[in-house]
Amino acid sequence: MNYHFDWSVLWTGQSGQWLLQGVVTTLEISVLAWLLALGLGTLSGALRTVPFAPLRALATCYVEFFRNVPLLVWMFFWYFALPPFLPQSLQDWLFNHGAEFWAGTVALGVYHGARFSEVIRAGIQAIPKTQFEAAISTGLSTGQAYRLIILPIALRLIIPPATNESLNLLKNSSVALTIGVAELTFQTRQIETYTARAFEALTAGTLIYLALCLTIAFVMARVERRFAIPGMIARVGAAEH
Amino acid sequence: MKRVLILLLALFTTAINAGPAVAETTLEKIARTGTLTIGTRTGSPPFAYVNKENQWVGFSIDLVEQLVLPSVAQKVGKPLKVEKKESAPATRIPLLTSNAVDLIAETMTDTRARRDSVDFSLTFFVTGAQFLVKKGSPIKGIKDLAGKRVAAQQGSTNARIIRERAPTAQLREFPDQPAAFQALAQGQVEAYTNDGIQLAGLKAKAPSPGNWVIVGDFYSYEPYGMAMRNGDADFRNAVNNGLMEGIDSGKFFEIYDKWFGPKGELPYPMTPEVKKFLIYQAVPK
Repeated sequence: MNYHFDWSVLWTGQSGQWLLQGVVTTLEISVLAWLLALGLGTLSGALRTVPFAPLRALATCYVEFFRNVPLLVWMFFWYFALPPFLPQSLQDWLFNHGAEFWAGTVALGVYHGARFSEVIRAGIQAIPKTQFEAAISTGLSTGQAYRLIILPIALRLIIPPATNESLNLLKNSSVALTIGVAELTFQTRQIETYTARAFEALTAGTLIYLALCLTIAFVMARVERRFAIPGMIARVGAAEH
Repeated sequence: MKRVLILLLALFTTAINAGPAVAETTLEKIARTGTLTIGTRTGSPPFAYVNKENQWVGFSIDLVEQLVLPSVAQKVGKPLKVEKKESAPATRIPLLTSNAVDLIAETMTDTRARRDSVDFSLTFFVTGAQFLVKKGSPIKGIKDLAGKRVAAQQGSTNARIIRERAPTAQLREFPDQPAAFQALAQGQVEAYTNDGIQLAGLKAKAPSPGNWVIVGDFYSYEPYGMAMRNGDADFRNAVNNGLMEGIDSGKFFEIYDKWFGPKGELPYPMTPEVKKFLIYQAVPK
């Protein structure tokens, strides 16, 4: 490749500040969307296993509707299609207070909530049915059995696939640049505009995403080990510790 | 963990340094493939867009097909075909550098910073940035932007100037023109800034053109050029010779009239100054 790298563009001028702002925005949108996704996912994932058909159907509708439409389309939906249905004063307020950020957060959270839901359902269904029956037979209600017995075990079981999903969420936050959210990928493009140095900017972005994702994977692995129930999750290699 | 990191870094550095040991020149590549690959746009009428008949056409594309292509074909000594790929402000320089395209022919402004990374052809169009607003809007120019929500195309020179000259404006950047116009139409933003000619194209294509007005003096100078990989003088000469031949023979102005003349896609008569400027760019044979 006939290209001369000039890495100094990443710290001269405003580039460093932009990258930092990008990282902060990426983390903000990802954390908020992650909380939303986890809430929606846990709720709908649990509802998909309850012994009451209408609730199961409701949760199934949510999952299939939101996970089967591309995230990009959801971004446009929340940003362009929804606001006209709001009252004029609320629209104006939103447009002056970061509507793109909130639309991006909701799009990302609701979309990944549908995907989390499947992970959580799989976790619940991996627990033997007798566990639930035993919980009921001690006098717990269905709600209590879920809250005190089933979900605490399921949430431990699903840490590896949930890590995967969380990493996807972080990386997918870059789609929000299509509606003008100034996150990390947006800022790398910004640097490219000012310096015409695309490869340096994209490399910086790549390494930052890599570092963020490796950190999350590392933390989640620690969480998994910390909360493992001995004998419940057979983790080869971790068993002797 | 540490070993994984080292491995990843090693992989990454190899990926960056990989590539053919002996670089092929652009003309050699074009001769080998029989194709001139250009990066252009699908949503920037009338320079490069997909028309109602679903054809990918425009002023910039005509300049390539009718002026640049014959000149390059003559240089490599065989007939060539043109292949078009979609490019956007954020992707056009990487597209060139990675050899995915040989020439960017769309609405790219020639700037000194960009000349550090790519080479430009002659200037083939001259415009400046303005604003598109709803009829009756209080925004009349760059000085009215304080606190207002303004859309710009991401990666464009306009966004950069707004950030510097109207720092209190709430700038929203969108990757393409349709998204920015949608935001203007629905009130997410109060003005959309781009090169005047592009706004005129957008306005003409809008469902009800009468609802929109283009306001403000040119607050920037935007000379459009075709971009190519830098340091490839033979190819650049072939491209420029094609454009100069067109200016000499008058073909360039015929193509201009087809798109911007009174009966063109977007009437935008060429001023005498611009015509003189274009003619003076064509150096003697």
